[in-house]
Amino acid sequence: MQTTRLAVNNLHLKNGHVVDPANNINGVRDLWIQGSRFIEKDEVKEGSNLEVIDLTGRMILPGFVDLRCHPRNVTGGSTENICSISKTAAQGGYTSILGMPNISPFIDNPGDARYATECAERDAVVKFHLAGALTEKSEGNKLSPIGSLKESGIIAVTDCPYSTQNNEIFVKGVEYAAMFNLPVIDFPRELSLSKHGTAHDSAIALAMGLGGYPRMAEEMFVQRSITVSRNLDVPIHLSSISSKGSVELIHDAKSKGIRITADTTPHHIFFDDRMIKDYDANFKTHPPLREECDQKALLSGLKEGTIDAICTAHEPHQNYLKQAEYDVAPAGVTSLDTCFSAIFTRFFAETKNIAFECAKWLSYNPAKILKIEGGNLGTGMCADFVVINSNQKMIYTQNNTSSLASNNPFYGKDLRSIIEKTFVNGKVIFDNV
Amino acid sequence: MSWSRTSLLGLEELTAEEIKIILELALEFKKNLQNKVLPTKNLKGKRIVNLFMEPSTRTRVAFEIAAKSLSADVISIASQSSSLTKGETLKDTANNIQALGADAIVIRHPSAGSPLFLSKTIPVPIINAGDGSHEHPSQALLDIFTLQQKLGPLDNKNITILGDILFSRVARSNLWGLKKLGANVTLVGPSTLVPREFEKLGAIVSHDVDKSLKHADAIMLLRIQHERQSTSHFPSLEEYTKIFGLNNDRAKLLKPNAIILHPGPINRGVEIESSIADSKNSVILQQVTNGIAVRMAILYLCANYPSRCE
Repeated sequence: MQTTRLAVNNLHLKNGHVVDPANNINGVRDLWIQGSRFIEKDEVKEGSNLEVIDLTGRMILPGFVDLRCHPRNVTGGSTENICSISKTAAQGGYTSILGMPNISPFIDNPGDARYATECAERDAVVKFHLAGALTEKSEGNKLSPIGSLKESGIIAVTDCPYSTQNNEIFVKGVEYAAMFNLPVIDFPRELSLSKHGTAHDSAIALAMGLGGYPRMAEEMFVQRSITVSRNLDVPIHLSSISSKGSVELIHDAKSKGIRITADTTPHHIFFDDRMIKDYDANFKTHPPLREECDQKALLSGLKEGTIDAICTAHEPHQNYLKQAEYDVAPAGVTSLDTCFSAIFTRFFAETKNIAFECAKWLSYNPAKILKIEGGNLGTGMCADFVVINSNQKMIYTQNNTSSLASNNPFYGKDLRSIIEKTFVNGKVIFDNV
Repeated sequence: MSWSRTSLLGLEELTAEEIKIILELALEFKKNLQNKVLPTKNLKGKRIVNLFMEPSTRTRVAFEIAAKSLSADVISIASQSSSLTKGETLKDTANNIQALGADAIVIRHPSAGSPLFLSKTIPVPIINAGDGSHEHPSQALLDIFTLQQKLGPLDNKNITILGDILFSRVARSNLWGLKKLGANVTLVGPSTLVPREFEKLGAIVSHDVDKSLKHADAIMLLRIQHERQSTSHFPSLEEYTKIFGLNNDRAKLLKPNAIILHPGPINRGVEIESSIADSKNSVILQQVTNGIAVRMAILYLCANYPSRCE
């Protein structure tokens, strides 16, 4: 496996099964690329240097767009950094990722934002976008200089993985960010109801002496965002939804035309809180895994469009921190390299056109929410796409990953479908063949 | 059925037979102690390490006395520091203790699941002396031992546990143990400290103290676990005492032969009226005495094997 940059002038992708919800395409057809963009067949210049790639039996999806990942460091460090996270993203078929502001240095001021974007331009193999903090240090006391942050390159605003507790600050922040047309992402967590929350409050956690992060803690702030969005008429995106009650609230809000969007994670779809029975902190996620009924609600929420997208919530942690007592271990799991395969595996047997749904959840909708180019294989669009072999299975392990961390609950699991190649702007940036 | 475990992590995973083995051996040791006879079943030459990372005097001392009564060498490490930010990880602590030649480790720790974590990390018998709010098997076993001595077989007996159940490892271990022996367990306390969810674990849940006292063959009182609560689960101690405390009026509702237990330390005038703690129905001090024999049984069963740490 290698990540390479091959300078290719023109590409003809033959016989691939193209999955492109943006243009309602789901069938075998050819695609042509010139430079960094898709072109029509008849735009191909006579006698030009055209490389033909036969993708018979393969799927072509628009490159995935991640709404939440945590790079930990701009450069260096032993947990993760922009370079390693971008390579991991490429492995997973991601062509655009949104880094959350809790990086070292923290993205709550224009200087550090500029530093991060410059390093990303130099080091990232995929399109690395930056979210700026809504409040300074995401402590929720004072708004960050959002306008200046936008000038320094941020494309969204959030306090994720934290949650702005003070309502006044949150409302002012949302209103202020809207002025700059910046998407606001809210990680909904009412802290006083989930202060020492280590797990979902269920009979399992009760027997284990764990708990403290009930559905209510999330639902209360989901309702808050819905109310704020409605009153200010400003869109808000809810990140990492885990509770069935949240799905209901979002469904009702959408039916009233309130501008709320939402995502969930692959681990919340795949696992429930029975996975923590042996105090295995590898399943301590942020938010926590909940019950089967919540899983079911998330699944139907995705299918009916209440939940618009899936984010990876990629949160790397060093092994020695995760191999510790459950309540002390940090919450969060890595996800970028396995997200698509996990979703595909989960839905494969029961959902028709699963690849089409995945393209919507992982690419088309996220790009719309972030208001960035992507999720579209149409003519004139940038050639960010991924070639997938959906017939093969693979067991992902820490030996396969480009991430510096390996706290991924999917390692060791037999997952269906392999990312074979990832292209950004028409160039191969990941090649697994 | 014979004993094949080298660790005692909790009562949830034990069978009724395994509980009986421990209690029968405890009875044997109790007789040795009463007759001041050195037991033939002993742990001479074994090194027991008490790793107590939470405040405790009574349980630590009880394990020390139990170990010494078996002629084992015992050393206690008492440390308040358990979080990673304060230094060594639990994994490193465990490896170090193994390297020091421990033949068994008795651990008390604020993190639920830490004894299980230890038992997966090092091949040394681990005995759980209380892990967060999860389990406190030696306490529940001595409670059950005391109950059996007073009430006989516990099949269909009504045991009421009253107090802060939510944060109590004693309540959980007792719930598992008593259910396995066929008793009916009622958990009583404020709704904020006794969630309905406990019904899914096989308990009867009630917030009405007076009603639950009438049918009880035994009542076990728990202390408010201040150190484990993160927020206010009830308005004040005064309010708690008034509505849930076992005062003289409430004690009159008990059956004449109902016995009163408490794991200690007792807060006189809060969960229990002072005079009731000293009444003839109170077995609180007998629990303490029985605790030595029960812990001897646990240590012997887990640590009695040819020494591995060479």
